[in-house]
Amino acid sequence: MRDDAAPVREPVARDVGHTAEVELLARGRTFGDLLAAAGRGLGELSLGGSIPTASGEWRLVQVQAGDRAALVVNWLNELIYLAEVDRWIATEFTVERATDTDFAVRARGVTVDVPPSRVKAATLHGLEIAERDGLLQAHVILDV
Amino acid sequence: MAVPAELIHEFPTTAAAGMRVPARFYADDELWRQIGSDRSVQQLLNVATLPGVTGCVYAMPDVHEGYGFPVGGVAAMRAADGVISPGGVGYDINCGVRLLASDLPADRIRPKLHDLIHELARSVPSGAGHGGRLSLSDAELDRVLVEGCRYLVERGLAHPEDLDVTEAAGSLPGAVAGFVSRRAKDRGRDQLGTIGSGNHFLEVQIVDALPDTRAAGVLGLVEGQVAVLIHTGSRGLGHQVCTDFVRLMDEVMPRYGITLPDRELACTPLASPEGQRYFGAMCAAANFAWCNRQVITHRVREVFQRFLGAQGDLRLVYDVAHNIAKLEDYGGERLCVHRKGATRAFGPAHPETPARYRAIGQPVLIPGSMGTASYVLVGTDANAALSYGSTCHGAGRRMSRHAAKRTKPGHEVRRELEAQGIVVACPSSGELAEEAPFAYKDVERVVEVVDRVGLARKVARLRPLGVVKG
Repeated sequence: MRDDAAPVREPVARDVGHTAEVELLARGRTFGDLLAAAGRGLGELSLGGSIPTASGEWRLVQVQAGDRAALVVNWLNELIYLAEVDRWIATEFTVERATDTDFAVRARGVTVDVPPSRVKAATLHGLEIAERDGLLQAHVILDV
Repeated sequence: MAVPAELIHEFPTTAAAGMRVPARFYADDELWRQIGSDRSVQQLLNVATLPGVTGCVYAMPDVHEGYGFPVGGVAAMRAADGVISPGGVGYDINCGVRLLASDLPADRIRPKLHDLIHELARSVPSGAGHGGRLSLSDAELDRVLVEGCRYLVERGLAHPEDLDVTEAAGSLPGAVAGFVSRRAKDRGRDQLGTIGSGNHFLEVQIVDALPDTRAAGVLGLVEGQVAVLIHTGSRGLGHQVCTDFVRLMDEVMPRYGITLPDRELACTPLASPEGQRYFGAMCAAANFAWCNRQVITHRVREVFQRFLGAQGDLRLVYDVAHNIAKLEDYGGERLCVHRKGATRAFGPAHPETPARYRAIGQPVLIPGSMGTASYVLVGTDANAALSYGSTCHGAGRRMSRHAAKRTKPGHEVRRELEAQGIVVACPSSGELAEEAPFAYKDVERVVEVVDRVGLARKVARLRPLGVVKG
């Protein structure tokens, strides 16, 4: 992650009282930061709370959607798909382009022998992106 | 028989803006208190706003909050002009349960139980994404998606009589493999025959009580007998189908003039091109799930026969879905009944009740949480008017996953189960803690309400001897 785009480090997965699922909290100074933080949080969840040093080639990952909330969900679902099918968990991101409907990022991560066993989908349920204390934040309910 | 009034909690259409039908919960005082502790009520009221919803929307006694629909929710939409919603089925399409029965008394397997459970864990991959033993070409996967368990009979992985006691004979006729995306097929390709993670499991159980000995006799269940319960679904393939169609429907809803209180309820008319594509893909994913449970059954049968010889034969009692949308007729009208965390429970007179169970009603399988009882029930004819022939699907969560882990660590949960004589094969202590018995509602109470309301009747109780978890 470039210094000028560094995400705000927060606990990214927390108990908000949902009976069955897990909520991901992501924050950033910009929408691109927020998306990168969400990706990092998902990687942390998938790897059981710790992130090993990223290695290997940088991969370009791109997603589109009709609005910001859908873009967050599509982005996380893209990472879930790559983790399950390619056994590759992205943990480090350099944002190339981030608009309300289009996100392009270069990512590095770790390959795993066994695909992650935790998160199966990101949902739109109650998803809002709001500014708070000068930061953008999103709460995403994950199907686990 | 009238439903006890104290078990009905109903909200009229004036309870929330946009409600088209009332919303009804079945619960006793204690379950109603637990239901009130999360967002289940608001979520069911939201479901009551969906276009074309008819009659009443229902919540079963084990209901808890989900995303969009509550888990334990039932809603029927008119097929002619109503919507279909992927969120009303859930991500794990045709998550369901199947019960196998042996002729063995439990004493016969106790000396081998530890080795048996660990051999089952080796033979039936568990954790999410683990590759299964059955690798499929594109053409073979398409046959699974379209033909379901019929194809597995041809492959020697199912007995022909297994189909007689599988919901829809393990093959929904509306399946279209071409409506299942490449991504979904990629996720599911090597997962046939795997349990998955979360609350999915395989248990070796003992039949320990028979509240209805006549019905138990028809099902071939006797006290002290060994049985196997399998709880899993359509794995990554089903999740990707849901992901694909929530996204599609969220994008095209404005075209149909649909506005919703929650985007995760994304839907289009069933008759629309998008609705038809989802229905075809959902049926295909449902067929994949039945095949998944069937391949696991084949592996379990192999292990039992290796350990116990001919006495290890396992007969399929029934297989039933609890995350699905089905076209069914009520009062002369065709409806699309969404069951999200709810089990179909047809009575003896219903034509879809298997011929061999016409004297008692369709079996309903209610898995408990680890260490607690599971139940076999049968559906009632009266239920058609109570909840579109639906009942509960389990105990239902009452505690979040984080709260469960905070309450007791996984190694303690494992030790307590082992102290009860239950053999546990689970690679993750964290997941064991999340699925601990105290994180769930009291299954005995849930089933009691179901029985008193008349949604289904109690037939048999089973308790675990050993559990294999993802």
